[in-house]
Amino acid sequence: MTSKKQKIIPDEFIPEVSSKVVTIDKQDYLLQNDAMFTFYQRTAGELSPFFLGIRDDRKLLGCKCTRCGLVRVPPMMTHCPDCDFAPTKLLEVGQVGVMNSTPPITYFATSMFADKAPFGRGRVILEGADTALSVMLYTTTGILVPGLIKKGTKVKVVFRNERVGQISDIFCVPASELTNEQAAKKGLLESEINWEAPKEPQFPKATEKDKADFKQSVKEMQALAVKMSQSKRARRAIEGWKRKIAVKTGAGELAMLIDDGNFKIEEKKLSSPDFVMACEDVKTLADGLMYKGSITDSIITKKLWISKNLEFNTIFKLDRLARFLVMEQKEKKAK
Amino acid sequence: MAKRVGIVGAAITPFRSRWYQKTYYELAQMATREAVADAAISIKDVDSVFYGIYNDIFERACIPESPLQGIIGLQNKFGIRVSNGGATGAYTLSAAHAYLAGERFKTALVLGVEKATDCFDFSSMSATPEVIKSIAWSGDSFFEQKIGWSASDSYAEVVLGYMDAYPGTLKPEVTARISSLLSEMARSNPYAQRQFDQVTPEEVMNSRYIVYPFKELEICVYSEGAAALILAEEETAKAISKNTGKPIIWITGLGEANEHSFAGKNQKDMSHIVSDYVGSRRAYEMAGIKDPTKTIQVVELHDAFVHQLEITLAEFGLVPYETVDSLIEDGLMLPGGKYLVNPCGGLTYCGHAVGASNIMSAWSARKELIDRKLKTAIVHGTGSTISQYTACAVLEHE
Repeated sequence: MTSKKQKIIPDEFIPEVSSKVVTIDKQDYLLQNDAMFTFYQRTAGELSPFFLGIRDDRKLLGCKCTRCGLVRVPPMMTHCPDCDFAPTKLLEVGQVGVMNSTPPITYFATSMFADKAPFGRGRVILEGADTALSVMLYTTTGILVPGLIKKGTKVKVVFRNERVGQISDIFCVPASELTNEQAAKKGLLESEINWEAPKEPQFPKATEKDKADFKQSVKEMQALAVKMSQSKRARRAIEGWKRKIAVKTGAGELAMLIDDGNFKIEEKKLSSPDFVMACEDVKTLADGLMYKGSITDSIITKKLWISKNLEFNTIFKLDRLARFLVMEQKEKKAK
Repeated sequence: MAKRVGIVGAAITPFRSRWYQKTYYELAQMATREAVADAAISIKDVDSVFYGIYNDIFERACIPESPLQGIIGLQNKFGIRVSNGGATGAYTLSAAHAYLAGERFKTALVLGVEKATDCFDFSSMSATPEVIKSIAWSGDSFFEQKIGWSASDSYAEVVLGYMDAYPGTLKPEVTARISSLLSEMARSNPYAQRQFDQVTPEEVMNSRYIVYPFKELEICVYSEGAAALILAEEETAKAISKNTGKPIIWITGLGEANEHSFAGKNQKDMSHIVSDYVGSRRAYEMAGIKDPTKTIQVVELHDAFVHQLEITLAEFGLVPYETVDSLIEDGLMLPGGKYLVNPCGGLTYCGHAVGASNIMSAWSARKELIDRKLKTAIVHGTGSTISQYTACAVLEHE
């Protein structure tokens, strides 16, 4: 059960009543903030035992066909369509299973899931089931990266501490990351898991050459930032966005400042940044901004560290900034 | 015996990331105006309209086609909307064919339109997260929407399932090369959203992950635009063709299949796109095609994701599953190769205005059959969760 009071639509998603004008070829076009919204008191109907089982008893139910014996999880149907609609019966299934196939990992999520990325979502065949349940997947060891969870990987269902009777009340982690007791426990709670806290990496002392290279890279990035701020297309990537980012490297610190289309890089320490990026070699970041590889992938491959996963949003904008500048240059050349 | 049905006119609007200048009313009318002009008929000669519009949320109305009936000049005529996820356009073509083959009408307008990027996320101050959220309302509402289902991650599941079954296929170098090739194709399509965005395989491989295993430059782009076809039954088609001097492109085969939306025993097989396999075989059977590798010359398929393009071509029987990368490695789809695949640039570079996309593909296939004097093409649409829906059409130059 949940004790928190939450709004169905968080306030940050709701714009004010407002409008603006976009001018193209000297013609004005009106843009109005708008929304379609409908609220529900939606019944879970025949699915209620499944969701109440998750919420109240921390158990998972499937349905078994009384004729062919197929066990479906989730229990989507009261009668089996493969057996001329023979009735099915609810039964409890296990909380450990294997992945039906290798799951994808979402790095760039929809607006509703930006605060949860990166996350995996895949299908697990739970013990006692014949069909696969769609689940969210995490690792206890930080950011989920390709190769950690694959087809056949044994995973364990974990229950959120705050549950509301929805499928998001559960998720899975690799069973190998748990103790035997945790893996065997029915109704394991997320608070019972040791989640690895993100630790800012420490780098070896820089040489004089490293420091000189750092200075040179910063100069190049500063020149690039000027071009980006002057590019109509690149500016669109960071339109309406403001961030102060502290970048720590083995050879020095710099600040990246995003301010509604303007992009600036300064060699200074920020006292209260929105978030921190850290990489041993500043070239990792410079290459991303210069469109020689993405910043996103540098985080996935652990060459670059960020203090807040939520800021993947900003990382995507920085990757776009690099790409949009190149796209504009290509278009100009082609035309 | 059902009547033969042919395409006698076609048009598309430019596909753009954003049409600030036009609503979907005007986009729909633009494509209609151009299509009837292409067939050299009056809109008054059109008996019926089949609308392909995917997502009510994009158009911000629950029966978005209702205002279009008058705007396109078909007041008091038959009008029906088809909405089948990404396969909307191909299914719309199929529906129109059935009504004409069944002699309900002599002519039909197949009209696809979509206005995706009016959606806007005010928390990130960008459109894309809200566009993909609007699409994410298409996932299962009890079991998947609330755990981050998206079109990309559901197709990625199928692609990874295929890679589990056929390890070593869909190599990053190959998918990158295909993306690069599609970008080159788009260069000669003046309607393409990314006409001037030619990318190298290296750029594709360097682009960021959106959803593993998909990189940014291996995914279709969301677009705004419209596409229209004029279909006619045999006698009418011949009369129109005689008048315009343009050949009839006959619709000789149609096939559709919708899979289970959940995986596991007796349900969806995650290692294949069974809907593509079954849909294409049904279309081949109707068209009398025994060996597609000897018949199909042009493929205009729905490349929502470049990896899925490869799998779809394998499901079509045009390349073996185990050696699907021979599309590039043996040059099957390279310039001068056996198959001309997505000459418009595909949905990756021409753009994906969902309800209009497969109709745009049919427009392109017709154009290629006529311009290059080729005989047979296949047009394809895929959609819904885990590539659940497929519709295919075989087109033949008379």
